[in-house]
Amino acid sequence: MPGGKSQLEQSDFVLQSRNMNPHWAEENLQTIRTLMERSALYRRALAPIMLFVGTVGIAGGVLGWLIQAQRGGPFLARLFVFYWALVATIALAGTFILVRRQALRDSEPFWSPPTRRVTQALLPAFVVGAVCGAIAADSNGGEEGILYLVSFWCWAFGCAIHAAGFFMPRGMKVFGWVFVLIGCGICVFMTNDADSFRATNLPNFLMTVIFGGLHLAYGIYLYFTEPKNPVA
Amino acid sequence: MNPELFLQLDRVIHEKGRLAIMSMLAASPELSFTELRDALAMTDGNLTTHIRALQEEGFISVAKSYQNKRPLTTCSLTPAGRKAFAEYITLLEQIVRQNKPR
Repeated sequence: MPGGKSQLEQSDFVLQSRNMNPHWAEENLQTIRTLMERSALYRRALAPIMLFVGTVGIAGGVLGWLIQAQRGGPFLARLFVFYWALVATIALAGTFILVRRQALRDSEPFWSPPTRRVTQALLPAFVVGAVCGAIAADSNGGEEGILYLVSFWCWAFGCAIHAAGFFMPRGMKVFGWVFVLIGCGICVFMTNDADSFRATNLPNFLMTVIFGGLHLAYGIYLYFTEPKNPVA
Repeated sequence: MNPELFLQLDRVIHEKGRLAIMSMLAASPELSFTELRDALAMTDGNLTTHIRALQEEGFISVAKSYQNKRPLTTCSLTPAGRKAFAEYITLLEQIVRQNKPR
C-alpha cells in the first residue's frame, strides 16, 4: 500500500462526490477566510466604553456651557480646541483603562493583534482631526470657523470609526457613517444658512449632542444587545 | 482536476469541523474552549473530539488553567499545526487555480 493508505482511502470514495463540485476548493477558502476574520475581530465589550465616552462628552458639553456662561461669551477657536482636546484626552484615557481591565479580566494581552489593527485603522483619521484642530487653534477664529471645525471633526471621527469597523462588529461601520453624514449636514447648513447657524451659538451644543449624545445612545443600545461574553 | 493535489490534502485538517477550528486558531494567538464552541456552534462533545484529534496530530496545544476560580481551557496552534494549515491553504489555492477556466 503506497504511503500506508488503504485502497478505499486512496480512491476517495466519500470525497469524490465533493469533487464533482468544481468550486468546492474556492468555497472552502472563502469559509476559511470568513472564519479567520471572525476570529481576528476585536472582541472587547463596547457598551461600557461607549457609555463612558458618551458620559464624558455630555459632562464636557455641560461644563463647557457653564464656563461660557461665566465668561459671558462663546469660546474662540483656540480655547474651544484646547477644551475639547482635554475632554477627548479624558475619554481616551478612560477607554484605555476600560480596555486594559477587560483584557486583564479575560487573561488576554492588552496589545493583542485585533487591538493593534483597530488602533492602526483609527490613527490616520485621528491625526487629520488633530491637525485640523491645530490649524483652527492657530487661526483662533470665531464661531463660523469653529462650526466648520466641528464638521471636520465629525468627518475625521466618522472615517476613523468606519475604518476600525472592518475589525469590529458590524454596527461600528454604521456608527461611523452617522458621524460622516452629520458632518456633511453641518457643512451644508453652514454653506446655505450660515447666518442662522452663527446666531444660535451652536458649537458647544453640537459637540455635546454629536459626540456625547451619540456615544451614549449607542452605548445604551449595545448594553441591551451586546452579548455579555462577546466572542469572535 | 489533478487528483494528485487532492490526495495531498491533509486528511486530519480536511474535515469541516477541524478545518473550522484550525482556521479560527490561525488568526488568533489562542482561543478558549467556550469561544470556539460558541463561534462554531458545536456541542461540547463534538468540539472535544475534534480538539483531541488535532492534538494527537500535534497541530494544536491545549492549556488548562483557572480564571476567577473557574477552569479555563485554551487552545492554540502549534508550529507544526501552523505549517500544516499553511500547506493545506497552498494546496487549496493550487486546486482553485487549476480549476479556473483558461
